[in-house]
Amino acid sequence: MKKLISNFLVVAAILTISACTKIDNYDGPNASFQGNIISSAGGNLQTSGGSTQIKLQQIGWTTPQTIPSKFDGTFEDTKLFKSAYKVVPTNGAFWPVTDTIVVNIAQGTKHDFTVTPYIVIKNFTTSLTGTTLTLKYDITAPIAAGLPTIKDTQPYINTTKLVGAGASIREYSDALAVSINKNFTDLTDAEKSVTLTVPNMIPGRTFFVRVGVRLSDSFNSSNFSEIVQIDVPK
Amino acid sequence: MKSINKLIIAISITVGASVTSCQKLNIPPTNIFTPEVIYSSEAGVKSFLATIYQNLPIEDFKYRPDQGFKTGGNDWENFYNEAGVIGEEVGPFGGMDIAGGFGYWPYGDIRNVNTLISELPKHVSTLTQSTVNALLGEAHFLRAYYYFGLAKRYGGVPIIKEPQDPAAPLSTLQVHRNKEQETWDFIGSELDLGYQMMPETSDAGRANKYAAIALKSRAMLYAACIAKYGSVNFVDGPARSAGLVGIPADQASKYFQAAYDAAKALEGHYSLYNANSDKVQNYVDLFLKSGSPENIFIKQYSIANQTAHSWDATMSPRYMTANALSRSYPTLDLVQLWGNLPVTNDDGTPKRFNSRADLMQGLEPRLLATIYFPGTTLRGLTFDMQRGIYPSFSGTAAAEVAKQPNSRSYILAGDTKTLYQGKQIIGFTGPWTGGDELTRTGFYVRKYVDYNKPQATVDLNRSEQPWIDLRYGEILLNRAEAAMELGNPTDALSSINQLRTRAGATLYSSIDLTKVRNERRMELAFENQYYWDLKRWRTADVVLDRAHFKGLMPYYVFNENKYIFLAEPELFNREYTFQKQFYYEGIPGGEIGKNPNLLPNNPNY
Repeated sequence: MKKLISNFLVVAAILTISACTKIDNYDGPNASFQGNIISSAGGNLQTSGGSTQIKLQQIGWTTPQTIPSKFDGTFEDTKLFKSAYKVVPTNGAFWPVTDTIVVNIAQGTKHDFTVTPYIVIKNFTTSLTGTTLTLKYDITAPIAAGLPTIKDTQPYINTTKLVGAGASIREYSDALAVSINKNFTDLTDAEKSVTLTVPNMIPGRTFFVRVGVRLSDSFNSSNFSEIVQIDVPK
Repeated sequence: MKSINKLIIAISITVGASVTSCQKLNIPPTNIFTPEVIYSSEAGVKSFLATIYQNLPIEDFKYRPDQGFKTGGNDWENFYNEAGVIGEEVGPFGGMDIAGGFGYWPYGDIRNVNTLISELPKHVSTLTQSTVNALLGEAHFLRAYYYFGLAKRYGGVPIIKEPQDPAAPLSTLQVHRNKEQETWDFIGSELDLGYQMMPETSDAGRANKYAAIALKSRAMLYAACIAKYGSVNFVDGPARSAGLVGIPADQASKYFQAAYDAAKALEGHYSLYNANSDKVQNYVDLFLKSGSPENIFIKQYSIANQTAHSWDATMSPRYMTANALSRSYPTLDLVQLWGNLPVTNDDGTPKRFNSRADLMQGLEPRLLATIYFPGTTLRGLTFDMQRGIYPSFSGTAAAEVAKQPNSRSYILAGDTKTLYQGKQIIGFTGPWTGGDELTRTGFYVRKYVDYNKPQATVDLNRSEQPWIDLRYGEILLNRAEAAMELGNPTDALSSINQLRTRAGATLYSSIDLTKVRNERRMELAFENQYYWDLKRWRTADVVLDRAHFKGLMPYYVFNENKYIFLAEPELFNREYTFQKQFYYEGIPGGEIGKNPNLLPNNPNY
């Protein structure tokens, strides 16, 4: 009887071990997609966390996926399935891109998108007097007609290079937002050139600083300046 | 010899088995109720209805906006509520954690109702025509309730009126979405049927004809606002172009009129609860006393049936209960809807109070009945909220609050045992930053809290007070809002003043839309309405734009033996932001997988 049981166990063990030898015959997610989101006003579109994304819709599949843009306007995803995708940049502070294009994504596929930003921040300068930081910049719009209402403008300050919406010190950033709530075409020249002051910067620290202008588009998205490093002396 | 015996036994078993094996199995299964059983009596239909009622999308005590409707015996975390992300309260949610919804898709329940509607007319002989009509009316009400739960989340959804045949071809089973306007119109016409067919009265917990028309006033107000405000503030996308979300602006007045007419139809049939001449006690009892003439449709709970909720054990601190903890607290922002509290003098210095309870002098009874203020008592214990002690205090309140915490001269404590010169530093009821089981704002919820329950029985899953899903107070607010939108301020003013009389508030002599909306917020606080109000008014992305909320912190000033109150950020200082895409939830991905005809998905999903 014991022998019978042990024989039975041996057979069961062999079956179990040999049952799963078939190898998955589909390719893993070894395709990649990378590139730049280029601003029509020159350079890459300056972005921030939780904003600009590349939306990919795999053809023959229902749920879209997204690749978030990095702060410098580049994007990269190295774990995609090889296939044809409809791609479009979305969620950022630029005029909506309506025509999606189809890209065959394989290993090392590169593609650059060009978008027209709502707002371009020009002549961004910083000056530090004691512990008070003064930020000056001009708000310009490549296309003024039909621009979403401008909500507010504000500094973004953080202790790391990752600085932007949701990645900033509240007292130096969101708390200093200046409401505008006007259409760009209704702004006077004086209102278009902004001066912000950030008091009580901590001596002996290094900060990374940029400014942004927020619009009431579908995403309440912001256009940003480039990031500047500020060393506050001891 | 033994082996022969064995052989005989073996043969007899084999023969016996083969002889009896060809019996036909034609006994009907005893654990499945066939239509004949269900529809042979009203009691049978009632038992079928119970399931449909139980699953109704009623946003009650147990509803968790990020997980769904709860019907189990241990869904006790009642502080995970909608109020806690929209500034009525601050709670355990870390931010706008509920806007994605939970993939609500109740087509199984809708199928149950559809089955009921298609079967009932076949059983007139056993049930009588009048019973069948009343039950059909109830079924139309229930179907509208389910579709309302869908429409307010997704906009247009597939309208399925008959039970689908699982064997039908896939193409007929994969139903396309209807337009948003068609969905709301369907809800309206279903509720009209309910109103026409149901009797005037019903058992508690079941709907009568007035429940149908009351729900209609709510639903049509949603549709009207989506038409009016959703055509101004929207996210564009293919679903919008196709009308799957959004209603043309010119339809708004039609829906406002429908909401107004529906609310007016309840006049004379229900009235505001006014049994007690003490205005505070009256407003407290409104949510606790059975048989209130204000209750139109309620949901009941039972310890015996394991459906009880835990409101009492989770809204008050452990100090006043027998178990568990509280985690969501009313904000000062909500309290200030009633006006600024008199906590500062004209020169900006904090007003000194001999006792914390003095703050409540002159406040509106409805406010005091909605929120537990410092100094009130519950079950013989006092709400002794105290954030800390100032050995001495000078200067203005604003200057003190603006200081960095480490440069403030107050004394705080990590627990209630720590003393300062023999005086307890923080109250037994908080506020405290060590966790969130004591208030973070200086207030506690009072609405719906059963003050008569002895402390030893205030345990989890031991609260049975019903949830009032539709009450006449809301109907007056629906009516006032619709009247205001239709340009009839006189009617709006009279409805609002009825509520203000009962609330013990000073009456208005004139009215505007802001006053109507604020009255709604005050009257319906914590009743899971304001989240949807913010959505249908399309103001959520403005009100909840990097929003932080405040509390009112009581301190003891040691050298003066007085109390002061400082308005400060709630102790976790959390941020809440509502994205515009959240005005609609995305169609659940799993459902799109089963039925690609649900595409295009809502904008930006």
